[in-house]
Amino acid sequence: MPLISLQGVTKSFPPGRRGDAPVHAIDNVSLDIEAGEIYGIIGYSGAGKSTLVRLINALEKASSGTIIVDGQQVTNVPDRQLRKLRLDIGMIFQQFNLFNAKTVWNNVAYPLRVAGKSRDEIQARVTELLDFVGLADKASNYPEQLSGGQKQRVGIARALATSPKILLADEATSALDPETTHEVLRLLRRVNEELGITIVVITHEMDVIQTLATKVAVMDSGRIVEQGDVFDVFSNPREASSQRFVSTVVRGIPSPDELAVLQERHTGRIVTFSFRDGDSSQASVFLELAAAGVEFELIYGGINDIRGRAFGHLTLALTGPDGAVDAALTGLSGRITVKELS
Amino acid sequence: MDSLIDLTPELWVATYETLYIVGFSLFFGGLGGLLLGIGLYTTRAGSILGNSAVFSTLNIIVNIFRPIPFIIFLAAAQPLARAVTGTGIGNSAIIFTLSLAAAFGISRIVEQNLLTVQPGVIEAARSVGAGRLRIILTILIPEALGPLILGYTFIFVALVDMSAVAGYVGGGGLGNFAIQYGYRQFNPWVTWAAVIVIILLVQAVQLLGNVLARKALRR
Repeated sequence: MPLISLQGVTKSFPPGRRGDAPVHAIDNVSLDIEAGEIYGIIGYSGAGKSTLVRLINALEKASSGTIIVDGQQVTNVPDRQLRKLRLDIGMIFQQFNLFNAKTVWNNVAYPLRVAGKSRDEIQARVTELLDFVGLADKASNYPEQLSGGQKQRVGIARALATSPKILLADEATSALDPETTHEVLRLLRRVNEELGITIVVITHEMDVIQTLATKVAVMDSGRIVEQGDVFDVFSNPREASSQRFVSTVVRGIPSPDELAVLQERHTGRIVTFSFRDGDSSQASVFLELAAAGVEFELIYGGINDIRGRAFGHLTLALTGPDGAVDAALTGLSGRITVKELS
Repeated sequence: MDSLIDLTPELWVATYETLYIVGFSLFFGGLGGLLLGIGLYTTRAGSILGNSAVFSTLNIIVNIFRPIPFIIFLAAAQPLARAVTGTGIGNSAIIFTLSLAAAFGISRIVEQNLLTVQPGVIEAARSVGAGRLRIILTILIPEALGPLILGYTFIFVALVDMSAVAGYVGGGGLGNFAIQYGYRQFNPWVTWAAVIVIILLVQAVQLLGNVLARKALRR
C-alpha cells in the first residue's frame, strides 16, 4: 500500500469576482507515492503544485476526492486529529519561513514543544538534529544572522524534529544559488537514505528532479500530464510540457533553428541516434557505420546519466554512398532509435 | 513666575494624575485593543480563524467608534461610565472612557503590526501541528513584538493628548492644570510649565519604547 495516495482529488477556489467560474487549482489528480521514494513534482508557477503538496498535510483542504497518508484519511477529519497527523509530516519552504524571533535552537525545538516532549527529550533531539545538518555552532544565533543555505538547513532540522515519515519540500532550493542548492540537495538525499524518510519535492527546476528524485510527475494547469520513473520521463518524455522541462537539462534533438545552422555548416545527411540504457552500445554502432563505409561527424547532442543509467541523443552528419548510408541506418534502426532530420 | 513657584505642588499632583490616568488607560485599553486587534487579524479571510461575518462585524464596530473625537465620546459615553464605574465624573470615569476609546484605536495598530508577520511563518507553525491559540501566543505576537512595542509607545503619547480634556468631566492631570491655573488665570508661565513636563514625559517614554523595541528586534 502506498504511503501517500491521492485519488481523483480536486481543489477549487472561489472565483475572484462574483459570477465567474471557480478556479480549479487541482483538477482530478491521482497519485501514489511509495515509502522511501523521493517523488518530484515539476511544473511552472501556477500549475498547482504548491496547492497539491499542501493537500497532503491538509494545510489546504481538498474540494473532492480522497487523500490517504500512512493509512489515514486526511480529508474530512477534525482539526485536532489533523494536528497530530502533521507531526508525522515535515515541511520546508522556499522562503524558509523560520521563526525570526526565535534562535536556531528554539526554531528546531518548537515542533517538539508542540508535540509535548519533555525538556530532556527536546535537549537531546535538538542537539542531534543540529549535528545532522551541521549547524551545532549556530544554536544561539537568530535566523537573520544566517546565510540562505544555513536557513534552509535549520528549516530541514525543524521539519525533521518530530521524526516524521514524510518530508514535503516546497521549492526548497528556488531561493538559493546553484552551489547552495546542491548542498541542500545533498542533505535531502541523506535525509532520504540515512533516515529513510519519504520526500515529496515540488520544483520548477528540472535540475533538482535530475539530481534528487526517483519518480516524477509533471503538472500543467492543475493536472498531472505525465508521471513515472525519472529515467523514463527524461529519456522519453511523451507530453509537450514534459519535453519542454526535459529540454532544459537534456541537450537532445536540435530545434529547427539549430538544425538550419547545422545544415549550413555540414554536408551530408543529418541523423539523430537516441541511446537508452540497455540499447546497443555506442561503440558497436560506430563500428558498424565505419564498416559500412559511412563517414560520420558528431555535431550535436550529449549523454546524460541518471543514477547510473545513461541515455542521450547524438546527432551526426553522415557522408558516403547513399546506398551504404541507407543500409547502415536500416541495420541500426532495430536496435536504437534513429531519426533523420531534414 | 512667582505664582508658578506657588503652584509647584499642584504641578506634581497634576503630573501624577496624568500618569495615573494614562497608565491605567494604557493597561485596560491596551489589553482590549490587543484582543480586538488579534480578533481583526485572525478572522480576516484566509487567516487562521478566517470568518468574514465576524471580521465584518468587528471592522464596522471599530470604524464606528474610532473616529469620534474624544471630547465628544467622553460626553456621549458618560451614562455607560456611570453604569460601570459608579460615577460619571472624575478620574475613574475618565480611565474607563479613555480605555474604551483607546481600545478601538489600539486594535487598528495591533492589526497593522500583526499583518507584517509573513504568512509563511504562520504556515510553518501550522505545518508542525501547532494549534491556533498556541500560534497566536508563541509565534504571532513574538514575531510582531518590535513593531507592537513601538505602536504602544505611539498610543501612550496619544493617551497623554486625549487625557488633557479630563478636566471637562471633573478629572485632573496636566491638561486640567494648564487650563485652570494657566489659561483661565492669564498666566502663560503655568501653561508652559505643563507643556514642558509633557514634553519630558513623552521623550522619556519614547526613549524607553525605542530601547525595548530595539531589543525585541535585535538591531
